[in-house]
Amino acid sequence: MNKRLTGAALGLAAALVLTSCGADAGGAPADDKAEGGPVTLKMVAADYGDGPGKPNSGETFWKAIVDEFQAANPNIKVEVQVINWNDIDKQVATMVQNGQVPDILQTGDYSGFVKDGLLHKVDEIVSPNVQQDLLTKFAEYGKVDGAAYGLPFVSSARGLFYNKDLFEKAGIAEPPKTWDELKAAAEKLKKAGVSQPFGLPLGQEEAQGESYLWFLGAGGGYKDAAGKWAINSPQNVEAFTYLKGMVDAGLTTPNPGTKDRKKVWEDFAAGKVGMVNGGPMSIPIFDAGSVKDKYGVVPVAGKTGALDTTLGVMDWIMAFNKNGHPAEIKKFFDFFYTGDAVQKIVDTYKLLPVTNGGIEKLSGDEKLKPFLDALPNASFYPFTDPKWSEVSTAVKQTIGGAAKDPAKVLGDLQKVAETG
Amino acid sequence: MQRKSRGLRALEPLVWVGPAVVLIALVVIWPVVEMIRSSFLKISRFGVVQGSNGTANYEKLFAEPDFGSVMWRSLIWVVAVVGLTVLISLGLAQLFNQRFPGRKIARWALIAPWAASVLMTAIVFKWMLDPEVGMINMVLRDLGLIDALGGASADPLGDASTAMPWLIFVAVFVSVPFTTYALMAGLATIPGDVYEAARMDGAAKWRTYWSITLPLLRPALTVAALINIMNVFNSFPIIWAMTHGQPGYSTATSTIFMYILKNANIGESAAMSVVNFGMVIILTAIFLKVSRWKTEVA
Repeated sequence: MNKRLTGAALGLAAALVLTSCGADAGGAPADDKAEGGPVTLKMVAADYGDGPGKPNSGETFWKAIVDEFQAANPNIKVEVQVINWNDIDKQVATMVQNGQVPDILQTGDYSGFVKDGLLHKVDEIVSPNVQQDLLTKFAEYGKVDGAAYGLPFVSSARGLFYNKDLFEKAGIAEPPKTWDELKAAAEKLKKAGVSQPFGLPLGQEEAQGESYLWFLGAGGGYKDAAGKWAINSPQNVEAFTYLKGMVDAGLTTPNPGTKDRKKVWEDFAAGKVGMVNGGPMSIPIFDAGSVKDKYGVVPVAGKTGALDTTLGVMDWIMAFNKNGHPAEIKKFFDFFYTGDAVQKIVDTYKLLPVTNGGIEKLSGDEKLKPFLDALPNASFYPFTDPKWSEVSTAVKQTIGGAAKDPAKVLGDLQKVAETG
Repeated sequence: MQRKSRGLRALEPLVWVGPAVVLIALVVIWPVVEMIRSSFLKISRFGVVQGSNGTANYEKLFAEPDFGSVMWRSLIWVVAVVGLTVLISLGLAQLFNQRFPGRKIARWALIAPWAASVLMTAIVFKWMLDPEVGMINMVLRDLGLIDALGGASADPLGDASTAMPWLIFVAVFVSVPFTTYALMAGLATIPGDVYEAARMDGAAKWRTYWSITLPLLRPALTVAALINIMNVFNSFPIIWAMTHGQPGYSTATSTIFMYILKNANIGESAAMSVVNFGMVIILTAIFLKVSRWKTEVA
């Protein structure tokens, strides 16, 4: 009995020592800058590719960029750690919690780091000419209280993809522009034996994106013109009432609230889906399937006409100020934005550039044209609102239910946004 | 050696148990302490600790509209999966304990679902149940049980009432091998003469099983069931890979709920972990009480 007590006490003591160590490490300075010596920049980046070992992996991509940069700047070393999208937010959160922030971070959001003063202002880390070339509407979103902290990195936009073969088989002359046309086309496809006339992914992966496109179609959105949460606005309820009609008539993916975007895109690639909302990033998936060269892209259909906006999703790059290397970071960012690195990203991953110069260079690409046209007028998630992460988590999980009971489910989501 | 002072000698065992204690402290106690600590902190989604949050994380968690149903479902999930697993394993263990041609191969085959990664098994079943290309759906269509692929009738994972039984089935499928082997080991320890005595007394087969096999199997059964309870309660990959807890939260257990919360609110998620941890301890205590694990088998 005595021995057991000693052991327990020892264990507890060890645990206490260890926890206090953990807390201490957070406060210790991590500055490795030696006067005049070489500087190492630590960078954490998201993986746009198919994962480690694949030819398009983030490691391979960044290595090429960094090698070129280091050749030109022998005094600066850049160490890149690539993390996949599913884990990057949680891992970065852990780094911040432990006080071990990287110098540069490239991921989906920057806004949460601003309030605690963790980031460099954009003026400190890129040249004015780079800043001026950024798309205005995008750069605006990089600002918190008038000061820019996030640099738009790449973006994507959405359009309506349709299967030309299936449209011909069903006798549909033109891709739909309005909801009525979309429903009519779906009914014809259904008669022609297409199991999923309209692909509707409202499952966890990206339900917040698909829903937003339908909100926009009815003139709604997550917030109203005054910037207040309006998830259960009459427009949004109308959008989901329309979707309910489509689902009930069997014109969509079955049980859309459980279907992920990737799965529905794969079904489209296999020729089982007539129409689906997608983006440049879905092109490689479609081209790998049986629909290669047999599909077209048009703007997303709206209630009374095709949308003149689109859902723009942008990713960000930012610099933490803790280690104090603004001059070196500036060199790296200028190199990145003025060289051909952005072009390389766009080519490799079918993402869209966020600079006027970048868009101009791509204007010849037929498949990307609908997206590039819509980009300068894109609509965005209200991601700078601190409530957004909670709202988007709830939307991803539950909004599929709105295709059964629009008013109730959207009302519940509105409550999530309004409380706390 | 003999002249070593009393104090030093008393410390000697520490050298032997020390490494184990440090290891346990490091991988068991420390995370638990951190978990409990986090549940009282206000942590932003970006990992910035914004100070103490009192009991607000817990209040928020208990006020979640889905909290009650998620906890209730976790309980049903554990009882259903462990119950079915134990029942099936008892039968299988008995079967594999008999001599029959090909027993070796059959025993090997039983290991397969255990050796395969649980995540992989779950993904395989998800694809077999896919509305467009699922093998199981194709067979059902060819048998005339569903009329077409691609629709709601070919989508068992799309609705909680049909998804839950499938999830439970997969969980049982991956739990049965270990449980069966544990019970087989238990059966092997029952001496043959006990059975011989029973036979001489003219006990019927059922009577023998009920009065001899089951009681003597109790230690193995208790351990197997206990390990299963903890495993199944904390089980994540099956539900996550097959349904993400959807539609809504209608197939989510508390472990899945905790993971989803992590995207929205780290502190609340930590609170859910603490509740989970408490639940496992309570479940274990109840189980040990009910199974009277300490009483010696006569």
